[in-house]
Amino acid sequence: MLSIQSLDVAYGGLRALSGVSLEVARGQFVAVVGANGAGKTTLFKTISGTVAPVSGAITYNGRDLLAVPPAERAQLGIAHVPEGRQVFASMTVMENLEMGAYTRAGRERWAQSLPMILELFPILAERRDQLAGTLSGGEQQMLAIGRGLASAPALLMLDEPSMGLAPAVVDLIFERIHQVHRDQGLTILLVEQRAAEALESCDHGYVLETGRVVLQGPHDTLMSDPRVRRAYLGM
Amino acid sequence: MTDWQWFIIDILQAFAAGLLVGGTYGLMCVGLGIIFGVMRVVNFAHGDFMMLGMYAAYYLVTGFGVLAFLGPYVAPIVGALLAGPIVFAIGWVLHRFLIANVTGARVVSAEAEGHYAQIILTLGIALVLANGGLILFGSLPISVQTPLSRESWAIGEVLLNKARTVSFFIAVAVAILLYMFLTRTSLGKALRAAADNPIAAAYVGVDVDRAHRLAFGLGVGITAIAGGLIASSQSFQPYIGFDFVIVMYAGVVLGGMGSILGAFWGGLTIGLVQQMSTLVLPYQLQNTAIFVVFLLIIFFRPQGMFGRVWERT
Ligand SMILES: Nc1ncnc2c1ncn2[C@@H]1O[C@H](COP(=O)(O)OP(=O)(O)O)[C@@H](O)[C@H]1O
Ligand SMILES: [Mg+2]
Repeated sequence: MLSIQSLDVAYGGLRALSGVSLEVARGQFVAVVGANGAGKTTLFKTISGTVAPVSGAITYNGRDLLAVPPAERAQLGIAHVPEGRQVFASMTVMENLEMGAYTRAGRERWAQSLPMILELFPILAERRDQLAGTLSGGEQQMLAIGRGLASAPALLMLDEPSMGLAPAVVDLIFERIHQVHRDQGLTILLVEQRAAEALESCDHGYVLETGRVVLQGPHDTLMSDPRVRRAYLGM
Repeated sequence: MTDWQWFIIDILQAFAAGLLVGGTYGLMCVGLGIIFGVMRVVNFAHGDFMMLGMYAAYYLVTGFGVLAFLGPYVAPIVGALLAGPIVFAIGWVLHRFLIANVTGARVVSAEAEGHYAQIILTLGIALVLANGGLILFGSLPISVQTPLSRESWAIGEVLLNKARTVSFFIAVAVAILLYMFLTRTSLGKALRAAADNPIAAAYVGVDVDRAHRLAFGLGVGITAIAGGLIASSQSFQPYIGFDFVIVMYAGVVLGGMGSILGAFWGGLTIGLVQQMSTLVLPYQLQNTAIFVVFLLIIFFRPQGMFGRVWERT
């Protein structure tokens, strides 16, 4: 579904990604783990089009994604839940979800996706008329994921949903992400610093270090790799 | 009547005048507020777009008289409302070919450099519009002719100028329509989302550059309607924009930069301050009173009196 070939991205002269290749097949849960500054967010921004690569190719459902203007990429079914949540702070919870459904698919599926989202995160139903800026960090993360789901996406991209959240909230959010993947068969691309939680239930994982993929493989291979166990899983 | 009663009537009269003129000021400020709120651009040419609105209304109603068939009462109203789409189109084109080069999604998130170019460009547009206006329209003060501006309704001893009263209600109606557009329609919500968080807006599929173009056109168009309304109760020339810049900036700052609803209340308050100040100050000093209020706000409440500053996470 999503195929990235030897992607190079730089900020000015500074290399952020070097020769990154990555595959996401339909229905898969793919996790990319890496420390702070490894280039995870840069990878997502390149897919969404806010950052342009130096070289490399991204194809999405057989289409050259780099030729698609950034604002149109959401229409193709790509939902980007950005790092640090980035909810629309001055708009209500409900309006945030409606903005998620700004795409054609999102509008058509709204009647089904709204109850699904509110069932997944009941707190959003309670807070529906509250301004998003007044929510707690965990609630904002749930809202950001809900906004992503409201677009009725084909590919859900999650950038560090655990960032700055209490462990109990992180557990709940990962639990919900798995639930969406399991129940709806939604394709998910997750980038995370918390390797254990991210790799635990992925189908395929990548390890990113200073802009390069140093290791990759299916879930079982990665979980039993001694380097991963030592450096990322703390075993 | 006693002196005391006359004094009360003077106060009520000034209050009523302030309220009426404040309605159009409020609408004017909403136009500037939308541009700042969505684009984070301080539009120094805003007063000159208002001037264009005044001349658009003038030529439609009095100059070329294309609206004369509507009669002297309806024509000025329709003329003011039509000034909106005309100036919207001018703003749209200017944004497309000039302003978009120094604003937009890239510049909103970047700091410093981009803003110098915006200041220079909007100042340049202001000069071109004012001086171009002088060449095209001449320097003779003119106004939109309507019998309403010479008639009044009396409420007890307080007189309400008919032209100003009608303008007030139209300004309020346009502001309400705009508010409904921003809060009820999908396009309006997209504008607010682009204002709130341009990056997240792009991720949900909003074309932020197009949202900016719409905001700029709407902002100058709304202010042009306010200008068209004022044009029937006050004479003007191509440099009039400059006189109103202080009113608009004071109103927007008072309302809280970025709050569109706040901008309306800010403008309304400025109208009240301006008219009430005539009770104690000579007429020529009414804009000085506005300036003093402006400084007091910046000193004591830089976040504005009404709107909350839009939080950006
Ligand atoms: N806007 C930017 N300008 C310059 N350098 C940047 C910018 N964003 C990220 N970087 C640099 O690129 C590298 C990768 O950053 P990022 O993709 O944010 O990593 P991660 O999300 O894995 O923490 C880091 O070295 C970071 O300092
Ligand atoms: Mg990151």
